[in-house]
Amino acid sequence: MSRLTLSGITVRYGGVKPLDDVSLAFESGVCGVIGPNGAGKTTTFNVLSGFALPVAGSVDLDGDDLLAVPAHRRARWGLRRSFQQEQVVRTLTARENVLLAAEHSGSPAADADRALDYVRLARPHRLGAELTMFERRLVDIASCVVGTPRLVLLDEPAAGLDPAESERLLGLITRIPEEVGALVLLVDHDMDLVRAACGTVAVLDFGRRIAAGPTLQVLSSPEVRKAYLGIDEEVTT
Amino acid sequence: MNLLPFVVAGLVIGSVYALSGVGVLVLYRTTGVLNFAHGAVGGMAALLVWQTVELRMQPPVAIALGIAAGAAIAFLFGLVAGPSLARVDQLRKAIATLGLALALLGVMLFVWNDKARTMRLETSRISFDVAGARVNVTQLVCLALALLVVVGTLLALRHTSMGTSMRALASDRELAAVVGTNVRLVENTAWAVSGAVAGISGILLADQTRLEPAFLTFLIIPELAAVVIGRFVSLWLTLVGGLAVGVGQSLVSAWPTVSAFSTAVPFVVATIVILVATRRRVVTVGVVRA
Amino acid sequence: MKQDFFSRTDVRGALVGLAVGLVLALGLPFLPGVGAGLALRTLTVCAIYALAAAGVGVLYGRLGLVSIMQIGLVAVGGWATLRIYHATHLPFEVVMVLAALVTAVVGVLVGLPALRLSGLSLAIVTLMVAGALEVLVTYAGFPNGGNGFLGRVSGGTLAVIMPRPGLGQSDDEFFRYVGVVVVVVLALLRWLLMVRPGRTWAAIRQGEAGAVSLGVNTVAHRLLALAVTSAVTGVAGALLAAGSGILDPASFKAQQSVLLFATVLIGGAFSLLGAVIGGLFFYGMPQLLSTVGLDGNLVFVVLGLGLVQAVTTAQAGIAGQLAELWRRLRPRLWPRPRREVTV
Repeated sequence: MSRLTLSGITVRYGGVKPLDDVSLAFESGVCGVIGPNGAGKTTTFNVLSGFALPVAGSVDLDGDDLLAVPAHRRARWGLRRSFQQEQVVRTLTARENVLLAAEHSGSPAADADRALDYVRLARPHRLGAELTMFERRLVDIASCVVGTPRLVLLDEPAAGLDPAESERLLGLITRIPEEVGALVLLVDHDMDLVRAACGTVAVLDFGRRIAAGPTLQVLSSPEVRKAYLGIDEEVTT
Repeated sequence: MNLLPFVVAGLVIGSVYALSGVGVLVLYRTTGVLNFAHGAVGGMAALLVWQTVELRMQPPVAIALGIAAGAAIAFLFGLVAGPSLARVDQLRKAIATLGLALALLGVMLFVWNDKARTMRLETSRISFDVAGARVNVTQLVCLALALLVVVGTLLALRHTSMGTSMRALASDRELAAVVGTNVRLVENTAWAVSGAVAGISGILLADQTRLEPAFLTFLIIPELAAVVIGRFVSLWLTLVGGLAVGVGQSLVSAWPTVSAFSTAVPFVVATIVILVATRRRVVTVGVVRA
Repeated sequence: MKQDFFSRTDVRGALVGLAVGLVLALGLPFLPGVGAGLALRTLTVCAIYALAAAGVGVLYGRLGLVSIMQIGLVAVGGWATLRIYHATHLPFEVVMVLAALVTAVVGVLVGLPALRLSGLSLAIVTLMVAGALEVLVTYAGFPNGGNGFLGRVSGGTLAVIMPRPGLGQSDDEFFRYVGVVVVVVLALLRWLLMVRPGRTWAAIRQGEAGAVSLGVNTVAHRLLALAVTSAVTGVAGALLAAGSGILDPASFKAQQSVLLFATVLIGGAFSLLGAVIGGLFFYGMPQLLSTVGLDGNLVFVVLGLGLVQAVTTAQAGIAGQLAELWRRLRPRLWPRPRREVTV
């Protein structure tokens, strides 16, 4: 049972505040972070992975102060992250990509092979440049489960995939908490994926939290529908 | 020791660094190209002036010709390489101009060899004393011109339509193109203007220092230091930077024991500025490449 | 796993390169025409500069870093070699390793501030260092057995020449000596590119954010790259010093650094073959031009324009184009079914 708490997080870029006094709490399993474009979802991830420094607030995972850890040390601490755009290194093989994640998070090389088995990627000795989009997404997931992760951040992991592929990816994502024991945060615009994957969600809008709780309950609440789902149609088309 | 002559000499050289740096800065802001060949273009202009004066051309005509040649070289490079350069990142843009610098240096060495020549402008023959330091008219021209060019550039950027277009390009290229700015025209103008500025500074520097191809080509180093001090944005800070580097070099060369290190001044100054700039920056938000 | 390792194309390419390199290094002096005299001495220096070119190539091709001070670093390596030799008279091999370490330290010190900012500032700072080193070397000269820190003889005293290494006394032997050192250093570099540091550099080049999120300390790994490539360049300086026993500041001008950078990009920054081609262009081409009676300065014009072309269009350079040619020709020369690589 792990618990992640963000308290009073404010991020400021010049005059803009992508996050304004946001407090969120997540408890084990797969949790969604949703909201329209510009709501502050990716900024939340950037705070967690150390790319954005909040001017106020704190982040706590099971008693550890995450903000005190430098960005490049957070992988060793147990943080994994995927980006909207997959980050597979084209000039390295799929296995080397995952190996890289293992090496820099302080995990043994055997963990890389275990992670590749988890996503069931065929022929991992192909170069990143030779992989399909789906296979690259698999490599990203493998890099995220390598070693002993405590917190996995997935930013639109299924972008650019067809429904069948999304379905397989969904299966992999929902199994992460039980398989490796990490808390998973998922940002996505695909409401079907969010509904199927996440037990709880938090909704952001204009840098503020407008709702949080069990997924179905939150998604059916009137203020969320008003603030968010109207725009959602435009986003998902 | 009376340091005043060194300060005066440093201010003069520094003002030309600044003048030249303004040319680099305007081109960089408009086209995204940091022109490492700026010094080489100036060297070319200076050698052409020297050559045509040797061939008994009237000095004012020769100077005009040299400046025009500087503008023409830069303009032609912008015209030919510009479209390809627009497609590559900033670092590659800068590297490509290293190629231009190398080619121009080769032409200069081929035509004029690497002998150090001297070129004295007419204005350098008239001089007078200011508080124990000898100052000639060329040096006054350097100082005045630097100030004039900074003020002139600021006014032109603010009040002419070409200036407005350049500022538009500097802040957002795509947007500028979308709203109907003729990007190619503006870029070509920037190349020509910066080439002319390079020509003027090359001729002045050749008069103040020595007329030697490699030496003039690598005067891009203190000029770049001025631009670095200007943080790649500020014309005034570039002027200050040029003067600071010039005076710094000149003062270091005043002491025989350390005079050999005077060429390291731009490096030291630029490094300090880069260090300070780094400290101010809080976080790196890496750009995810496609 | 072992089987896998040798079936990887990059591993096979590296092994082929190693074999060809050793054959060339040991066999070239037997070749009539180029195997003796001026031609062999020129090729020796070309091979030495291939190391400096490899330094530039790894930085640019593998990390996207532009270093325009490499010839300055060769001078640092050469200076350190002569200085250490005249002070200690240690065997050349020991002196060479020490000089490589000194050069690595210098390279890191220069890169440290600039690397925190952007690629463009490293290019600017290294150009400035190239200019500063040129003047420093001209002012200080190279040690030739005199007293004091600078080690210059004065007055009527004769300069002391550093002897060639014991295994490379004659021109033939020295070429083989240089050849083997160059091949060994390039092989080490190639190996480094295939293991953890190389993987990490590839990730950094692909994207800073992605690399950091994997847990990569990007600044530390860029510094490691600068240290490694500077050390390799320092070895080049040591070999150059060993060749003639004395060095001339006139060979280490700032424009030479720019020229070397150009040759590497034209030769191809993505492979070590490109570095070898770069070394040939850098030192061999001016010699070739002057033997046929052309002005060596035309090299600047040709390579300068070549650099513009390489940057704007042909990213992989000559080595890349050769590799592409090979890929197209191979199936026709040796038709065989494609073997699937499985775990």
